[in-house]
Amino acid sequence: MELFEAIHTRRSIRKYQDKEISDDLIEKILSAAMMAPSAGDERPWQFILVTDPDQKERITTVHPYVGMITKAPLGILICGDLKKEKFEGFWPQDCSAAMQNLLLAAHAEGLGAVWTGIYPIADRVEKFRNIFRLPDHIVPFGLAVLGWTKQKTAPKDRFAKDRVHHNIWQDKE
Amino acid sequence: MEFQNRRNALKLIGAAVFTPLIQAAGTAVAAENAPASHMDALTAIRTRRSIRTFTDRDVTDAQVELLLRAAMDAPSAGNEQPWEFVVIRDRKTLEQVGGINRHAAYAKGAPVCILVCGNMHFDKFGGYWIEDVSAATQNILLAAHATGLGAVWTGIYPMADRVEAFRQLLNIPEHVVPMALVVIGYPKHQKPPADRFKPERIHKEKWQA
Repeated sequence: MELFEAIHTRRSIRKYQDKEISDDLIEKILSAAMMAPSAGDERPWQFILVTDPDQKERITTVHPYVGMITKAPLGILICGDLKKEKFEGFWPQDCSAAMQNLLLAAHAEGLGAVWTGIYPIADRVEKFRNIFRLPDHIVPFGLAVLGWTKQKTAPKDRFAKDRVHHNIWQDKE
Repeated sequence: MEFQNRRNALKLIGAAVFTPLIQAAGTAVAAENAPASHMDALTAIRTRRSIRTFTDRDVTDAQVELLLRAAMDAPSAGNEQPWEFVVIRDRKTLEQVGGINRHAAYAKGAPVCILVCGNMHFDKFGGYWIEDVSAATQNILLAAHATGLGAVWTGIYPMADRVEAFRQLLNIPEHVVPMALVVIGYPKHQKPPADRFKPERIHKEKWQA
């Protein structure tokens, strides 16, 4: 899939086919995530693959919007590793870039995916930390839920001219 | 088979929608250095590098719009779309960037920069704006790379002094937070793909030290 098509037709997909995702494809997607830029190239990400049905069930009890994971072949929990920080406080931006690469790569390969947020909601961070037994320096950031999809995706135009300012801020409100 | 037919149909639709946009951006470009405007998504992701030195060649408004359209199709929490963009071409303004962030002084040598910001009036869930705007920024970098431009993400937020300095420089109101400055131009040098894949960052089911 060409890049602009991937960017403009990517949508949040929450319904999946009952079909596994191969290890090769998972690695391809994680490879894309790890090609994200990061502050000082610090690469603070860690990835936890979720395929176990009990683990998926546990996740649904701590997050209001991830019920679909029990019908998805795979969840990928992206975490920030604070020990990898070179510039304090940039890791959420780094992990967001990684997540966006992950979503684009998944979509380009014919999968459907959705980004469900964890950080910075303190309650969710704590609960995911417990479920995955994360050490203190590992912060659960966001959960991608992925699967094969038959869902058609058309471009949705979100371009808004009033969010574009030239050289200096222009009050538009 | 049906799935493959749908994918082919989408490819045609995609090409019909995007080819005119990409061609509009490309018309200002000289033939001997045409932009790679039909780059495969995974290739773009894999070969994108941070570019900090640029040629004298200008970046057109049409090209900038292509980047902003890519940015605004990023996902966002509850589709809140909290982003704001300041497109900066003014030389005097760009010359001051180095004084705010010495690691971004090369901005004065670029034809255009985009300041990506979060508008707190649209941050509905208590802090996801950073993630939304970051996803948008990554789309800008990928789109730039795929069209033959080079770009680099330079950090502002959460460094309070940088946030304040950019706010002053560009007259940005209190409810809008400058997050990053993307510096964009035609690359002076091509950089080969980096390999950042680390298998030790992959854990199965639970954390494995």
